[in-house]
Amino acid sequence: MATAIAQPVSSSSTGLLRRILELVPGLLLLAAVGEAGKLIEQSIAGYTKSHHLTFPNIEYVLWAIVIGLIIANTIGVPRLFKPGVLTYEFWLKAGIVLLGSRFLLGDVLHLGGISLLLVVVALTLSIAFMHLLGRTFRLKPKLTSLLAVGSSICGVSAIIAAQPAIDADDEDASYAIAAILALGAISLFTFPLIGHGLHLSDKAYGLWAGLAVDNTAEATAAGALYSDAAQKVAVLAKTTRNALIGFVVLAYAIYWASRGQAHAVGNKAAFLWRKFPKFVLGFLLISLLATLGFFAKPQLTSLANLSRWAFLFTFAGVGLRTNLRELGRQGWRPFAVGAIGEVFIALVTLALVYSADRYLHL
Amino acid sequence: MPEATAALRRGISLDVYAVTLAFVLALLIRLNLIPPVRW
Repeated sequence: MATAIAQPVSSSSTGLLRRILELVPGLLLLAAVGEAGKLIEQSIAGYTKSHHLTFPNIEYVLWAIVIGLIIANTIGVPRLFKPGVLTYEFWLKAGIVLLGSRFLLGDVLHLGGISLLLVVVALTLSIAFMHLLGRTFRLKPKLTSLLAVGSSICGVSAIIAAQPAIDADDEDASYAIAAILALGAISLFTFPLIGHGLHLSDKAYGLWAGLAVDNTAEATAAGALYSDAAQKVAVLAKTTRNALIGFVVLAYAIYWASRGQAHAVGNKAAFLWRKFPKFVLGFLLISLLATLGFFAKPQLTSLANLSRWAFLFTFAGVGLRTNLRELGRQGWRPFAVGAIGEVFIALVTLALVYSADRYLHL
Repeated sequence: MPEATAALRRGISLDVYAVTLAFVLALLIRLNLIPPVRW
């Protein structure tokens, strides 16, 4: 009897150990790519300084993403490394929670309040525009819904959350994810250039990146590529946007259920809680603790550095998971709808940020 | 892509683990149980 009970416990702990061990190669790869990015940044900075050269500082973020992209699209990421590489979302969320320690709760409420206002306006306009585009390009209505959710709220996570709620096909979700990932990669390289071209302040740029770039990882990276301060604001704005995911998915679920093309939503409060990104609560709680003086100054520095290490793993993962060939195979129409929609969203949010900077004093 | 979809679907449920890890690390730092973290 004792053997019969001990057997499953033993096999489940072995299974857990095996799953943890499976992550090790990929985690080492993330660390190696991130460290290489840091090393390149420091080497270039050291060389230009010692030779009295003027050269713009290219952050480790860009190097880590580019190295990851090169590996993923030349030799490819071997199967052995994939489980660990796919943990980059986990590090992103842990990094965002830790970053909360760098915000006073008052700042969170002020900037978060402005972000919320802008998110609601941008969301309404972008969803309406995406559906108009979807009809024009004759995309399947549910694919259009997924693209609208992905580009207006929070990229891939929103698509994953919406797919079962509106009973969309796996294929539609794959198309929408491919388009959003490709567009996220493009945003990463274009947003900082446009921001510098328009001489946006750190706050204005961070708010713009947080409101317009789809995936949280890409929005964080786009902010970090501009400046440290811009990254903070981008994460805050993006987190505000993420917090609305449940409401938008619920609205879509009710819409498709009313047309008899999705199952009805039972308990709406439970639905909202299930879809709510829990790391937002962690971010707010750490910010509250920091505001109450729970951490000493050197401890706050350690927390900020831990957050940077977590983001280092994330940025390495962003490059390593982007397979350009696979993205290219997904067809041009979802990509075209996504791309036109993204340009629209980028312009609308830029106008909103300019207005907020002028009238709400960021 | 289905592989990425499955991984990310699993990733959403990892929110709680990410928050837990962040708080455990924050507590260890608060109690000075780990040395200062450098960048």
